[in-house]
Amino acid sequence: MIEVRRLEKTFPGKHGLLGHDAVKAVQDVSFRIPDGGAVSFIGESGCGKTTIGRILAGLENYTAGEVLVDGQNLATVDRRQREAVLRRVQLIQQDPYQALNPARTIEQALSDPLKVMAKARGADTAWILQRMEEVLGLVGLEPEAVVHKYPHMLSGGQRQRIVIARALTVEPSVLVADEAVSMIDVSLRLGVLKLLRDLREKFHISLIFITHDVASARYVGEDGQMFVIYKGMIAEQGPTDDVILHPQHPYTQALLSAVPVLKGLESPGSDRYIPLKELDHGQSPENACLFAPRCPFAQPLCETERPALQGASGHQYACHYPQERHVVAVALKE
Amino acid sequence: MSAEWPLKANTKAVGITIRDLEVVYSTGQGQVPAVNGVDLDIAGGQITGIIGESGSGKSTLAMAIMNAVPHPGRIVKGSVVVDGVGNMLTLDKESQRRARGRNLGFVFQAAQNSLNPLTRVGHQVLDLGRSHNVKDLRGLLRRAKELLHRMGMDADRVLTAYQHELSGGMRQRVGIMFALVLDAQVVILDEPTTALDMLSQASVLEIVRSIHEERDITTILITHDMGVVADLADRVVVMYGGELAEEGETAEVLAHPAHPYTKGLIQAIPRISGDLSQAVALSGSPPDLKTFMQSGCLFYDRCPERVAECQVKRPPYESAGPERKVACFRVMPHD
Repeated sequence: MIEVRRLEKTFPGKHGLLGHDAVKAVQDVSFRIPDGGAVSFIGESGCGKTTIGRILAGLENYTAGEVLVDGQNLATVDRRQREAVLRRVQLIQQDPYQALNPARTIEQALSDPLKVMAKARGADTAWILQRMEEVLGLVGLEPEAVVHKYPHMLSGGQRQRIVIARALTVEPSVLVADEAVSMIDVSLRLGVLKLLRDLREKFHISLIFITHDVASARYVGEDGQMFVIYKGMIAEQGPTDDVILHPQHPYTQALLSAVPVLKGLESPGSDRYIPLKELDHGQSPENACLFAPRCPFAQPLCETERPALQGASGHQYACHYPQERHVVAVALKE
Repeated sequence: MSAEWPLKANTKAVGITIRDLEVVYSTGQGQVPAVNGVDLDIAGGQITGIIGESGSGKSTLAMAIMNAVPHPGRIVKGSVVVDGVGNMLTLDKESQRRARGRNLGFVFQAAQNSLNPLTRVGHQVLDLGRSHNVKDLRGLLRRAKELLHRMGMDADRVLTAYQHELSGGMRQRVGIMFALVLDAQVVILDEPTTALDMLSQASVLEIVRSIHEERDITTILITHDMGVVADLADRVVVMYGGELAEEGETAEVLAHPAHPYTKGLIQAIPRISGDLSQAVALSGSPPDLKTFMQSGCLFYDRCPERVAECQVKRPPYESAGPERKVACFRVMPHD
């Protein structure tokens, strides 16, 4: 179980010629994930969702707030405990091409963490080999077909499966998947998403799924919670299908509108809209809604007061003028 | 010498006729056919989406239309006739060069990296103009500004910017501006949205759609994402292992896919509404070297509907109804 309270991360500014102001990457983000649960963070590039994942995986410090993994506070546990805690949280990154050493075979890549595990439990080489076959089987790969290969000999989907297998060697309780399928051919994505879903169901591994693609977030965590992040803050949160089918925040609606409509099978939602203006990475005024400059429904109040999360406890949104709009494509009847 | 750059927009949509096109790559293991005997008519004024996985030959096909297949690839035979230009494969080098940019605009995969990092965008517009004998360079810049503005950008800022000062979505728009600024009648977009997030993707697609409609150009969209094609294209062409598997009108193909590969691609799209169990992953791996050596159907290893015949004979690419072609033994021709 992971619990995060009022997480904040500010990257310090720099002085000088190439200087920039401090960047508030994450502000006031709280959530909890039960064992085997799923939480997805949705947003554009640069919205801070990757920073949240990196903090959970222990790769980034945070400025304020609390991160509790199975009740242990990351900031206060001693170093050795911290290592043990973080081993239970494994990060799967976007690019399987860079995550694997091109000069080492799959067998070598997998045996390193397994050797550490074997040493810890006093197991022998036979255990390592058996465990390797096990994890490869779990990710849907034929052990004999891949162990002697180098990463370049595998497809993108297979490589990402190897990365997931390597994460599984240390028996994690949480996987943090950061854009884990966006580098893979669309035709092979669903296979990897299904694998993540199966790992949740079979082994009770919790999943933190970070993506810009609402549809894949829904696929892996239909029963979980969805957090829509904009400029480091939560714009909308709630049960996944609730957020998708009854979006209240205009930003959530923009993200849902961006999902391609399949001609011949669907018609676009009646309120679909796509903002042409790009995300600006500058500082936003403290007292304005972060999304106001791009929001087609912005009112004067949005420029002068930042909205707090409101709504029933399950489904909340940070908007002064929440309104459900029909932006999701509708299936055509045959 | 070349004629003056025309000031008015083109009025007639340009079609492309590809016949028996074959492109091979020379590798250590011999010659690999990347595009194999492709016959394709790209109708003028339409958006044609060419879809395929990595290694399906779709990008090679796009480069072959420009007669710009990079080494070690080589066009072995065939013809690519662009209306009003001629056969790109037999034109002299100088006419080819002029056709690229002026008649055929190309937006590269990873347009992020196709700009010169050392000069400002505005200078690159001027360079492009000079290399195409544009006399009215001021007019050209004005046109570039119009296009950038049209795409929701601050044109003055972009023209004075270096590429590293622009985000991925903005660079992709700048790439589209370059493809259109000389008034090309055909625009080829190679994976225009691959490195972008969903919102940037949607806005780039929206831009392509509205510019296409305004200018009555011919748009060719190369992608591995069925969703992108399904949203934007008028016609879909499905490529597999360097050959065409299926083509037809988009709504028709989506609603009634005929080739098992097309069916697989459509089923593999996760949706945001409806039953999740309807999404089924495509099994197997994309075509590789071994696939090309097969005498039977290229899709045989992954096909859920295969029969004995498929292993020994390659199905011909045949008409399967109006405006529809399929290469599969399991599909009965309608006419």
